[in-house]
Amino acid sequence: MEKPFILHMLTTAKNLSPFDVNMAMDAGWISAVPYINVEPSEVRGLVQDAIFSRSPKGLLRTAIFIGGRETKQAMDMLKTAKNSMVPPFEVSVFADPSGAFTTAAGMVAAVERELADKFDTTLQGKTVLALGGTGPVGQVAAVIAAQAGAHVRIIGRQLDKAQRTAELCNDEFGDGKIDISAGADADKAEYMKTADIVFATGAAGIELLSAELIAAAPQLKVAADVNAVPPAGIAGLDAFDNGKPLEGSNSGAVGIGALAIGNIKYQAQSRLLKRMLESDKALFLHFEHAFEVAREFIKTAN
Amino acid sequence: MPKRSILHMFDPMPNNSPFDINMALDAGFDVLVPYSNVKLESIHHLTQDAIFSRSPSGIKKTAIFIGGRDMGLAVDMLQAAKPAMVPPFEISVFADPSGAFTTAAALVACVEKALKDQHGGALAGSKALVFGGTGPVGIATGVIASLAGADTVLVDHLSVDSANDAAKQYSRRFGAKLSGAVAHNDSEKIALIADADIVFCTAKAGIRVLNAAVLAQARRLKVAGDVNAVPPSGIEGIDVNAMAEPLTTATESAGAVGVGALAVGNVKYKLQHELLKSLLETDEPVYIDFRDAFSKARTLV
Repeated sequence: MEKPFILHMLTTAKNLSPFDVNMAMDAGWISAVPYINVEPSEVRGLVQDAIFSRSPKGLLRTAIFIGGRETKQAMDMLKTAKNSMVPPFEVSVFADPSGAFTTAAGMVAAVERELADKFDTTLQGKTVLALGGTGPVGQVAAVIAAQAGAHVRIIGRQLDKAQRTAELCNDEFGDGKIDISAGADADKAEYMKTADIVFATGAAGIELLSAELIAAAPQLKVAADVNAVPPAGIAGLDAFDNGKPLEGSNSGAVGIGALAIGNIKYQAQSRLLKRMLESDKALFLHFEHAFEVAREFIKTAN
Repeated sequence: MPKRSILHMFDPMPNNSPFDINMALDAGFDVLVPYSNVKLESIHHLTQDAIFSRSPSGIKKTAIFIGGRDMGLAVDMLQAAKPAMVPPFEISVFADPSGAFTTAAALVACVEKALKDQHGGALAGSKALVFGGTGPVGIATGVIASLAGADTVLVDHLSVDSANDAAKQYSRRFGAKLSGAVAHNDSEKIALIADADIVFCTAKAGIRVLNAAVLAQARRLKVAGDVNAVPPSGIEGIDVNAMAEPLTTATESAGAVGVGALAVGNVKYKLQHELLKSLLETDEPVYIDFRDAFSKARTLV
């Protein structure tokens, strides 16, 4: 008899996200076991405990999910987990703290699709403003877009925090190969003059881009908003919008709302959870892989 | 629809061991439910909560696993679960904190077999040293060996008080006859090992406890068993896969043999698997601790 699929779900928070548990079961994992309040220093012990009670063949049907709330912490835990494997005793690991990796991947992939469909172009060389970009989704979306060749600026209410976030993204997530810059929310109007793309990833219920700024933007092409709670992060953008012309835009921009992004996010997370089930070797998955499968989904949906 | 089998996994630690989770699912349980930070005083009501929501036939497919790090606490929890049963509402309970019971049972059973096969000997009357003797596996190993009749010494590497305290506490608790000793360095290890028949090494992974220079001073060593699978091995000259292979580093002990960590690990794996399966297959509820684990381990080697 084949061994049942087991997903060990680690989180630094005091509970797992029920969203992730549903996703794991629906992707085909038979048992999803929670480990809560996990300290990053405990990852090594938990991983080594998990790998030594099954044969390498059984371990192909065993994996680890890393949740939590912080992007850097989750990436560090993923690295620790990878370094704790004792080949051939190794299992796949997928990090997606607060769903931020797959949400960001869904948003950037949707923007990329609109650029191709409506403007016959790509992210390469485009100017991106990540508004409210210091949070988990903003950080990761900025990194993914920068890795796809865009010039990204993270905008925050506090300039020093935006700068620290940009540095973190460049050094920790981009291996020093990307160059995300920072800006203050107060200077937004100036930055909008050259913006091709806007990501709104701020707290729910805060408008980050006003109707005036949209009307004044000379080259805005796509605006995407992960906030599903009114008022929208981008004025006039509805959560259901999926490439609809953005109200009041004089540059012909289109909008992508939270539910359209959520659909791709769902697909990306589900595909990565399934990839671990089907793989014949251990995989270590994070936002880059989330973007890969989000693009793959968009390609097949077209 | 037939009821699915459920294993309630009570653990005094913040999280269950992923090792046990894999083992439990592979033994055939359909649903595993972890309970963390469980206190001894909660066992009674948790157990009663578990028995009263299924019919007597349904609760045949329900069991309790007790984990943690502490042998005394795990046995206390097992003892607390028993009187909470209300026949015919009763279920099986298996305690194996940190896997220490099954690891220790497998280790002692392997060493006992090597002693018999290679030397015609028995645990009764032998002198045994347990290095790393104050950790979970060390204490369980010491208690099992002592109850089987070996004159057993728990050896700590830092403090004779820790060793004596553990020896006294667990001797009283389980009717064993343990003593304690400390070995800070090679000369103290040599003094202990000179007249030992058996050494068990249950110290931390990756630590070389007995080197060739120490082993060369053993005069009547018959069997050495090691549970450390991470190089270097705890006992120099034992291959991880060795099952009673000659221990050439013990130059002055004729016919001494070694048992390696993976040889012990194989028996431990089978043992834990069988015991978990027995929870599902038994008609009458069973209560499994280190003593039952050792009886079963003896049949597996």
